[in-house]
Amino acid sequence: MSDNGNKITLTIDGRQVTVDRGTTVLEAARSIGIDIPTFCWHPKLKSVGACRMCYVEIEKFRTLAVSCATECLPDMVVHTRSEKVLQGRKAVLEFILLNHPLDCPTCDKGGECDLQDHTFAHGIDDSRFDFPKYRFKRDPKSTFDDYRIGPEIIRNQNRCILCYKCVRANKEIFGEHDLGVFQRGNLAEIDAAPGEKVDSLYSGNLVEICPVGALTNTDFRYKVRVWKTKQVKSICQYCADGCNLTLWARRNRIFRATSRRNDDIDEGWICDRGRYGYQVANAEDRLTTPLVKKGEHHVEVTWDEAIKTIAARFREIKDKKGGVCIGGLAYPGLDSASLYTVSKFFRTILNTNSIDFRYDYKMLPEKAGDVYSEMTAQPFSITGIEKSDLILVLASHLINEHPITHLRVRKAVTKLGSKLYTVNPFATKSGDISTDEIIYRLGTLEALINGVCMALTEQSNEIKTKYADKLKSLIAPSSVEAASKISGVEKERIHNLARAILDAKNVTVIVGEILTGSATRENMASAISNMLLISGIPAKGQVGFLSKYANSMGAQRLGVMPHLPDATVERLKELWDNYPEQPGLAADRILLAGRKEEIDSIFVMGCDPLLLYPDGEFVRESLETLDFLVVADMFESKTTAMADVVLPLAGPAEMSGSFVNIEGRIQTFDKAINPPGQALPGYEIMNRLAAEMKNPLYESDRQLHDEITMLLDMNHKAPAIMDVQEAKYIAEEPGDEYNIALVVTDELHHFGHLTEKTKSLSAFCAESFLEISPALAEKYHAQNGTLLRVESEVGKVILPVRISEHIDNNVAMIYKNFAATPVNVLQMRKRRVDYVRLSRVEEK
Amino acid sequence: MNFIRTVFVALPKGFLTTLKHLFKKPVTRKYPYERQEMFPRYRGKHYLEIYDDGSERCVCCGLCAASCPADAIYMEGAENEKGERYAKVYEINLLRCIYCGYCEEACPEEAIFLGHEYEFSDDNRDSFIYTKEQMLANRPKKEKPFKRIIRKVRRIF
Repeated sequence: MSDNGNKITLTIDGRQVTVDRGTTVLEAARSIGIDIPTFCWHPKLKSVGACRMCYVEIEKFRTLAVSCATECLPDMVVHTRSEKVLQGRKAVLEFILLNHPLDCPTCDKGGECDLQDHTFAHGIDDSRFDFPKYRFKRDPKSTFDDYRIGPEIIRNQNRCILCYKCVRANKEIFGEHDLGVFQRGNLAEIDAAPGEKVDSLYSGNLVEICPVGALTNTDFRYKVRVWKTKQVKSICQYCADGCNLTLWARRNRIFRATSRRNDDIDEGWICDRGRYGYQVANAEDRLTTPLVKKGEHHVEVTWDEAIKTIAARFREIKDKKGGVCIGGLAYPGLDSASLYTVSKFFRTILNTNSIDFRYDYKMLPEKAGDVYSEMTAQPFSITGIEKSDLILVLASHLINEHPITHLRVRKAVTKLGSKLYTVNPFATKSGDISTDEIIYRLGTLEALINGVCMALTEQSNEIKTKYADKLKSLIAPSSVEAASKISGVEKERIHNLARAILDAKNVTVIVGEILTGSATRENMASAISNMLLISGIPAKGQVGFLSKYANSMGAQRLGVMPHLPDATVERLKELWDNYPEQPGLAADRILLAGRKEEIDSIFVMGCDPLLLYPDGEFVRESLETLDFLVVADMFESKTTAMADVVLPLAGPAEMSGSFVNIEGRIQTFDKAINPPGQALPGYEIMNRLAAEMKNPLYESDRQLHDEITMLLDMNHKAPAIMDVQEAKYIAEEPGDEYNIALVVTDELHHFGHLTEKTKSLSAFCAESFLEISPALAEKYHAQNGTLLRVESEVGKVILPVRISEHIDNNVAMIYKNFAATPVNVLQMRKRRVDYVRLSRVEEK
Repeated sequence: MNFIRTVFVALPKGFLTTLKHLFKKPVTRKYPYERQEMFPRYRGKHYLEIYDDGSERCVCCGLCAASCPADAIYMEGAENEKGERYAKVYEINLLRCIYCGYCEEACPEEAIFLGHEYEFSDDNRDSFIYTKEQMLANRPKKEKPFKRIIRKVRRIF
């Protein structure tokens, strides 16, 4: 009997195959290695059977069946290569080619086109149609029918075979509605929705999944033929999701990046930042030679001279005042080897612990083992999101911070039926699919979470007897009413959230950048830790305090922090011949010490604190006071302009190395091209510097690799949450004058200080702007593009307005990625929430 | 007897041959003042063809480079102001090229041809990188007679 519970046995091309009930014939055939040609089928999308290419013959079926939309039935007998099937495929291809232009020589898809391949394999050599082909033409005067539907995407309808993959993926996977099919039959065309542009964060994927050249992008347009390039495996260098990429390189230049599907992380989708962000490697204004400041100007020097200059100054400072007078800031988007060597250089050669990767955090803790660090080390997996029936997104603009995690959350909610609660100070894209989108007043997350804790105690007797008294003494506000009043969230919604947490069997909690970037990070983390402890979430699910940069997790594990857990310190003492005993300074303390002239020199590796540290005035004063500033970076920035020595740094595409993503997964990438000019990878710079000062950091690449592997492979499991922490909300009311809360974040298509150097991402957005709600805009009589002056107590900037339906709550959002308008001058490092006031710029 | 035969028969016979050649057209040419007219299908230095309106035929599809057995062709595509594809860089390494004519055969736009030019000497290797501008300038004034036929044949198949 072949119908056995949930398993079905059928015969395909004379071979028996057993599959789950509900599997399609196509999937069953693929599972035993029988290839059926397809156009419209995609493993991550629902089948529609639009292209009819996957015809198979099934015995007792009257006609040929579309295998991607036919479910397996017991005792089916399928033929995939019979005479009838081959004839059917030929006919389908002949129809598809009916109006398909013969412009393969100019088409970017040529060489990797499904239609080319299938026609070659299954089609007929000739066409029986001799009438002219139907032509779509937007502009009757032009000879050309390419039409731009987004900043990066060009559509050529004549090439389209109407497989609808782009439209389906856009709706099903990305939740965008900016692309659709218009007209019908022969005239059907794919187009942007009226008045819209295809400019979502995921738009590049539509080009990648197009089986023909109907959708192409400006990035790759006409530049090179795919068969001339070599493919290099790489990892995205921006956010910490760690999507797998393929870089297509030729003659020392990268031409594009595409997804290298990894079902554990990205499922074959990547965001546009990753897709077009590789262009930083090709940018023309890269630093190519070391520069030393002589008098007022930077002068080009050789590596030897630059290294000798730095070594001499460092030795001088070290001998006179000790290594503690030198601090280090490292960019957490660097590869593991560079981060490790920076840490090793500071600790073994300079004998100081003052090295930190958290260069853009406000107010860092002064000791190891703080609640926040422990929470970030909790195990988290992206696939684990799918297993949860409740997903809680706290203080995270998820699509902005972790676009691919957002897609996984979307999948869990829309396809697998999980519940989603978002708790944010403003409306976000994730909120569109949530059961409840809770919007609290900015800066009151502790109060709200404490409210949830109290609601949990009210709803569950078990929790009440165990924790209620403790909680009451340690947290404030300690009632749901008070929390509701402070945070501005209705009582019922807090209770509903508590109910949902109690009912859920498996919970994923995602905590993001709004918490990380806050000055009261520790307090919020404690509040969340309390909530997790009393609801028992770590035992039934997972907690992800998502770190931001590509290698933040790696930096943490490799010890690029002043205060390390004991286990790491032990291991480092074993590895190295000396380990400094004196406690080091965290990033903001290094800058503070610089301002107080307690530190004479700072070594900045790969980052731009002057643009991104959330207190512009403070960091500028600090760097100006320094005696000696060394900056290694890929580009000239305001920080390099102040530096005494500037070193050209190679980017991740120009070396091989590894990143550690949010899950703690170590992923390696290969070298695609050579660094421009004399630029060197970070580890090489540190090694040369160490060799000049004392002795090299590593003898061979093997040794370096072994040391890194040993550290990364250590058991980094965070200790379990043991007890209720103190988490008191301290009110911080806005003044009368400055009363609009400010959120400074990454622009949707940008990340950090590097992406503005890319042409494609600048096509989406090239300058900073102020995003406010329609109500607020009305108050200042502002339309899109009106210039408004944004003033805080410490600084002011003038920015164009963009009105967004997404924001409310008296919040102004500003984007920090653009060197032309440094917006961190508005921020103050001690403030939990920065408040600003707006005013119109009077036109002259 | 023998002597008489040599003087009166053999010598005049020999001189007659010389005399005959005095009035014949010489086999050798005064190269470089005179150049040889090559056979119609001779494959020499490449040239790029243009349309009647002066625009380039080449669309930088890369098929010539793909078919090249010696990997002598390098090209970089770009978009021109009309939005069409064209070759921003088109280089043939004449030292690598084996003059097989596959590029001519592969070209879907009938843009590249092997001409009748056969003078290849120079004193440095760099000058053998034959650029697009040189190839466009190298276009013969008179159309290669076979080209019309090739085009006609192509149109039929």
